[in-house]
Amino acid sequence: MSGADMEFPGSKGLTVGVELELQILNSRDFDLARDAADLIGLVEKAPHAGAVKPEITESMVELNSSIHQGHDTLAAELKAIRDTVVQAAQKLNVRIAGGGSHAFHMWADRRIYPTERFQHLLSVYGYLAKQFTIFGQHVHVGCPDGDAAIYLTHILSRYVPHFIALSASSPFQQGEDTSYQSSRLNTVTAFPLSGQMPFVQSWREFLEYFEMMRGYGIVESMKDFYWDIRPKPEYGTVEIRVFDTPLTVERAAALAAYAQTLARQILADRPLAPERDVYTLYNYNRFQACRYGIEAKLVDAYARRPVSLREAVLDTLKVLAPHAAALGNGHALASLAADVEAGRTDAGWLRQMHRERGSLNEVARLQSELWMGRSKVPA
Amino acid sequence: MNAVSFLPSLPPAANPVLLFGLLLLAGVIGGELARRTLGLPRIVGYVLIGLLLGASGLNWLDSALLKEAWIFVDIALGLILFELGRRLDFAWLRREPWLAATAVLESALAFGCVFLALLFFDVQPLYAAVAASIAIATSPTVVLVVAQEMRAEGQVTERALNLTAMNSVIAFVTSAMLLAWLHHEYRASLATVVLHPLYLLAGSALLGYGASFVAMTLARWLGKSERGHLVMSLALIVVTVGAARMLELSVVLALLAFGTLSKNLDKRHDLMPVDVGPVGQLFVVVLFVVSGASLRADEFAAGGVLAIVYVLARFAGKSLGVMSLTYLSGVRRGAAGLLCLALVPMSATAIGMMHRTGQLYPDFGTKLAAIVLSAVLILELVGPIAVQFALRRAGEAREEAAA
Repeated sequence: MSGADMEFPGSKGLTVGVELELQILNSRDFDLARDAADLIGLVEKAPHAGAVKPEITESMVELNSSIHQGHDTLAAELKAIRDTVVQAAQKLNVRIAGGGSHAFHMWADRRIYPTERFQHLLSVYGYLAKQFTIFGQHVHVGCPDGDAAIYLTHILSRYVPHFIALSASSPFQQGEDTSYQSSRLNTVTAFPLSGQMPFVQSWREFLEYFEMMRGYGIVESMKDFYWDIRPKPEYGTVEIRVFDTPLTVERAAALAAYAQTLARQILADRPLAPERDVYTLYNYNRFQACRYGIEAKLVDAYARRPVSLREAVLDTLKVLAPHAAALGNGHALASLAADVEAGRTDAGWLRQMHRERGSLNEVARLQSELWMGRSKVPA
Repeated sequence: MNAVSFLPSLPPAANPVLLFGLLLLAGVIGGELARRTLGLPRIVGYVLIGLLLGASGLNWLDSALLKEAWIFVDIALGLILFELGRRLDFAWLRREPWLAATAVLESALAFGCVFLALLFFDVQPLYAAVAASIAIATSPTVVLVVAQEMRAEGQVTERALNLTAMNSVIAFVTSAMLLAWLHHEYRASLATVVLHPLYLLAGSALLGYGASFVAMTLARWLGKSERGHLVMSLALIVVTVGAARMLELSVVLALLAFGTLSKNLDKRHDLMPVDVGPVGQLFVVVLFVVSGASLRADEFAAGGVLAIVYVLARFAGKSLGVMSLTYLSGVRRGAAGLLCLALVPMSATAIGMMHRTGQLYPDFGTKLAAIVLSAVLILELVGPIAVQFALRRAGEAREEAAA
């Protein structure tokens, strides 16, 4: 990547786009399958909405939406891509599922997808590359310029616990209940270039930092930073990466709407100045959200006191109401608010299925039925 | 009574337990030698050591001992066919009808090619047809065991296993019908001609259905306990094998029906996925050693040339069937050729079938046994290599298992 690639082109304000990493399961015992190449090949045979791409192991597939102005068109496109992928999966007798982790797959069984980049990651990170068979949703929000992207990244960092708790869907790992609502992020934390963007205040300062890291040979491009939130000059966006892939595309679209609306409020109202203490408290708050989900107790860097995450989300949703209306995201955020008030979460649903059915194979099967749109979320 | 009457009489009598252990030991050594010295799949080693110990070699495993070992072969077959049946997914065949169509076409073409080839070499039509019906089946044991040994997973593996399950059934039905015809040729009563195949088919299917019903009911009662479901499934597999023998039904068809119905009729998903592989492995080794020992190299001398014709015609027919339909189904380019290779192994159950037919109709038996059994001999050795190559080339074997 040359210096020119690091120019921030800016994108038409506050558009939104989504990447979803999904699980490919076999139909026999619902463990992870290895059919990504065949699946992608089959999808590519016919024209379709969005894009379908490989991910680091052969058991994963990534769906990309195009760029949207608001929730409704995004949700419609995500459903269309889902249906295309499900149709292909059915021809191959595999299943597709959402959720941040597969409940019982063994990481050592995974195979790296045969491309140069993924093989390189395996040689650098060793077993971490195979353990990286976890499934996240990335939300891109368009930014007018680089400085705005830096500002937005800092302020959004305060809301990372919200994103984690709202999307948490990885309670099980390697056949065990982890006791976490989102266990997926513990895997991300193991990578040396994970974490947060340094406390830079402008795009120019950011470029200095980036050039320094590149000069040391630590990174080659922005792709090498596995930060929770990172500016993405390539697209002119800020990319939020802490969401677990939810159990349904509907939820994925609603989460994207939350991020987009929040970004609109932040950039339009400029309500807060970047605050170092957000990062002082960051890891504690992030852990709380992963461990307890919506029931977490956080310490707010601006209010300087403990707050309930549930209250913080509900308060934020109220503040966002006018912006949601402007973007046409009102009903999406209302559905999130209803779920928060009722205590409905994806992690909770997965645990409930495990209690009811008594086996993780059944959890994985029901998870795939839900994602493929064959069953409804029970209230 | 003398002072040392507690000593065994000489020579000491062997017993089935000792036989089982020794066969297993022989298999392990043969398999490892084949892998180390020739780089071949272990299965080939099991068969080779069987050949060495059997009538064609040292004759330590004579027909009396082989008869004793047959019980282990039956259990191995039961475990394998149950597992294969569990892989046969009716819902998939409805969504991907071209796969089922492929099974029918490759079976028909394999039958047709072998039949015509044998006619061309002046084999009597009825004999040729019986031999051709045996050619339809791919060996479930070889394909599944190689796939398990390589821990292979993917489209070529799954499709090969589903095609194998389907062509095994088609082969069974066809040969049952032809054997009835044969009965007729040998002036059996018309009632026998109609009733015997019907009894075999319906009886075996019903037995499998009964076993699957009991399995689902017990699974509900046991609750979700992996160990409980495994032991229960093993018990029912053995019971079904025994019952099939007792009722003179087909072990192959009954267990295939048990496996596939317990998967496809279990709408509430009561039966947990169980892995009978580790238990099955013991019996599978013995199965292949015994298969090897049952093969006769001297028959190869008699049927050699025609056997090679038989093998080539069969491969041509199957490949034509697979190649012509695979592009319509959702599989990547290049997979079709590998699928053809994966269907090469020929069922060693043909050995039993030939011997039984030979006992009933000696004239027919000797004529055809030479051809069919020589073909089995060739394919017992070539088949596992072909499957291993296909699955490895398809990139569906686990890295560590590829060694």
